[in-house]
Amino acid sequence: MPKKKLLGIQVKHLLSGVSDHGTQHLAEVEADLVQTALLLGEAIEKLGVNFMAIHAAVCAQQETVNLLLSGKVPTSEYAEKLKEVDGEIGKRVNAVVTSLQFQDLTSQLIGRTVMRVTKLREYLDTLGSSCAVMLPDSDCDEIVNLLGQLNETLAAQSVELHSILRKAVTQTHMESGDIELF
Amino acid sequence: MAKTVLAVDDSSSLRQMVAFSLKAAGYQVIEAVDGIDGFEKAKNQTVDLVLTDQNMPRMDGIGLIKLLRGIASYQKVPILMLTTESSDEMKAQGRAAGANGWLVKPFDPQRLIEVVKKVIG
Repeated sequence: MPKKKLLGIQVKHLLSGVSDHGTQHLAEVEADLVQTALLLGEAIEKLGVNFMAIHAAVCAQQETVNLLLSGKVPTSEYAEKLKEVDGEIGKRVNAVVTSLQFQDLTSQLIGRTVMRVTKLREYLDTLGSSCAVMLPDSDCDEIVNLLGQLNETLAAQSVELHSILRKAVTQTHMESGDIELF
Repeated sequence: MAKTVLAVDDSSSLRQMVAFSLKAAGYQVIEAVDGIDGFEKAKNQTVDLVLTDQNMPRMDGIGLIKLLRGIASYQKVPILMLTTESSDEMKAQGRAAGANGWLVKPFDPQRLIEVVKKVIG
């Protein structure tokens, strides 16, 4: 095969490899960030709503406490209301506990994103350091060899990156997950 | 006497939520930060139930289950996975290692308590 053609093949391989690798990983970073934003948004919304509901329930309880402190005897209606408020607080606290787990889910997504960005930077460093070895007066054979080695190294790094970045968080809502007993 | 649950998770907020929920229901909770810590704590005391995450540094949940099932006193202790993982493939691996159930995060405290009650009373 003519040297010029070999060189063209290696250059094309390099450019398409870098483009595919970069595009694919940036798309994954984008997806993880969107998912993180969704989880954070929903968690904050639920925490806010439930915080306000707990506050309202505590205020209702305080009314009864104030009544008792003033020496008045609360009616059966108050007792019923207290029971209701107690149930409401329990329900709201449960919802808060579910929402507070956003930290676990989002930190896994952020950790994956950080690792992807770090590995992407290493990939670009490999590209940069190989280019530094390529001198302007290198002959065609040298350049073809260097590009061949570079393509192999980048392909290996790409495979390694795929293997360590399995997606462990697929949740897009802060709703309680499935339970299965074996 | 209160039943003891060993909660293994590298997320401190998750351990806190599990402990908060189960203690409110009358269980005693021991916390461990990963599989190795969980194994050390399980070896040194009797627990009635192990509740473990899957993805943790040093040792994951399935690794912990395999180690625990190798100890005579842990062959029949229920072990539940509490993890973000929900794939059938991962569940099959957990089941093969000796897990008795799979709970996908985030959990609802009431449902968690119901499951724990069903498993250990």
